[in-house]
Amino acid sequence: MEEIFALWQRDILRFFRDKARLFGSFAMPFLFLIIFGSGMSGSIRSLLGGADTPSAMASFDYVKFMFPGIIGMVVFTTSIFSALSVVQDREFGYLREILVSPVKRSSIAVGKVLGGTTIAVIQGLLMFIFVPFIGLKINLFIMIKLIPAMFLIAFTLSSIGLLLASSLKTSAGFQMVVQILIFPMLFLSGAFFPITGLPAWMNFLVTINPLTYSVDMFKKIILEADKLDPLLRQVMGLNLTVLGHQVTVFDEVLFILICGIIFITLATIKFSRSS
Amino acid sequence: MNDIENNMNNIIEVKSLGKKFDNLEAVKNISFEVKEGEIFGFLGPNGAGKTTTINMLCTMLKPNHGTASVNGYSIISSPNEVRKSIGIIFQENTLDEKLTANENLLLHCRFYRIPKNERENRIKEAFNIVELSDKRNKIVETFSGGMKRRLEIARGLLHYPKVLFLDEPTLGLDPQTRAHVWEFILKLKEKAGITMFLTTHYIEEAEICSRVAIIDYGKLIALDTPDELKSKVGGDIIEISTLDNKAAKEEIENKYNKEVTENQKILSFKVDKGHKFLVSFIKNFKTPIKSINLRRPTLNDVFLKLTGRQIRDEEVSAKDLMKKRMKMHGRMR
Repeated sequence: MEEIFALWQRDILRFFRDKARLFGSFAMPFLFLIIFGSGMSGSIRSLLGGADTPSAMASFDYVKFMFPGIIGMVVFTTSIFSALSVVQDREFGYLREILVSPVKRSSIAVGKVLGGTTIAVIQGLLMFIFVPFIGLKINLFIMIKLIPAMFLIAFTLSSIGLLLASSLKTSAGFQMVVQILIFPMLFLSGAFFPITGLPAWMNFLVTINPLTYSVDMFKKIILEADKLDPLLRQVMGLNLTVLGHQVTVFDEVLFILICGIIFITLATIKFSRSS
Repeated sequence: MNDIENNMNNIIEVKSLGKKFDNLEAVKNISFEVKEGEIFGFLGPNGAGKTTTINMLCTMLKPNHGTASVNGYSIISSPNEVRKSIGIIFQENTLDEKLTANENLLLHCRFYRIPKNERENRIKEAFNIVELSDKRNKIVETFSGGMKRRLEIARGLLHYPKVLFLDEPTLGLDPQTRAHVWEFILKLKEKAGITMFLTTHYIEEAEICSRVAIIDYGKLIALDTPDELKSKVGGDIIEISTLDNKAAKEEIENKYNKEVTENQKILSFKVDKGHKFLVSFIKNFKTPIKSINLRRPTLNDVFLKLTGRQIRDEEVSAKDLMKKRMKMHGRMR
């Protein structure tokens, strides 16, 4: 345990010491929210509402709709890219210091994944400084529900990242592969537009995408879906159904958890074998 | 000699160890022992298989055949026990440069499960040995090459290893820093009595070792104390350059019946009692001499005698470069 904690602490320490990375992480979400979000707001509302906008739609705000998606984007990309540190440790030599010590390979894998997970959750939480500017109301209860939800998906994606980092030898290669993987997952998760009325093949991809369930959880928590007008819920795509079954938060937690367990196992095995 | 008693003093035992990368045999069936408390040197040109051997002994690389034990533990069946018994200074820097010197050492303590209440003392002690106490809380990135090396040595000592492996500990350092690092290594041997296993391609460094193994193309070609090895070369060495090396070579071979080797336009041959030989040699030699030099044999001469090449032939052939690259590639895998 001591070793896992030590590895975890090292990653956190390095994260806070890298000021450029810390501040740079605000750039993309800011651009998405302010430029993309504000710019698209009007057209999305009329698109969703049709010609005669129902009264419930008047309270629809695209920027608010997008905010949970932005949190998702930050948490997803940060966690999956966190395994880059493994590739860099290999390139800069520090991985050999760890590998030649008596620390178990599985402990190294778990320590790295937990480090990436924590950083992703911190990054996600940092995005809440945008909250006052977009007029959302966030209370402590929302945060308490949100943190484990973020942790769960970040853990799963960090594991996927480590699995890739164990097979890819250069940081350039790793970044390329992760980008090719994460962007389709992100776009097919409902983070930026409601995933309703999609073609069948796309619907299939959306259904098997763990990010879909994560984004849905974030939306339900942050937007307090149970307090929304049913019509608004419908157009925002918050009534996610799979095979005719309306998905509950419990189903979502279970699905992501299973994915997480599968990927941390695969990543640990792959990492132990490759080093 | 009593065999069992002999084995008890061996901290490292290597039995027909071999490693193949694709179709390159980096280490070919080598066997040797390292005695407790000695400085054991692994001397050979670049790409001879030194690092590959060290990597196998450190459990970073699995051998294709053969076995070895370090501190009584097999590198194959109990790698974790081996890891606890050893400290390693790798050829390349393995510090976390974004952290402070102290943080690097503290992490090491935690990886090796050094009890919390002992950590501070050990870290202090290690900083003292390498004289970096005043740089304790500086970020490693700001250190010079020599300071980084010393910090790595300090780190390698924290868990009181039985054997300290040093892979080319002075590679890439300027001569002054090299001497400094060596001072620490010798001080360490005196103070802590740790067995040290080091690889080098610097002759002068190998001369300091208690015993030296010479390795070439993955094969162990000699193993003894530096003095013993040098005495096998026999006598003194005379090096001359002349206006006509071909004629001079013939003359020496006919007149004195000596074996002459030519390297970079310098002829060299061995004689007994060189200082007396030199006087009559200069008087009677027909070919005009440009320069002449008399010296004691070095380990390089031993290598030359055994392989016909110099250890530090700077012209590395394309094939050797390929090999080196393959080795590095293989190591990363």
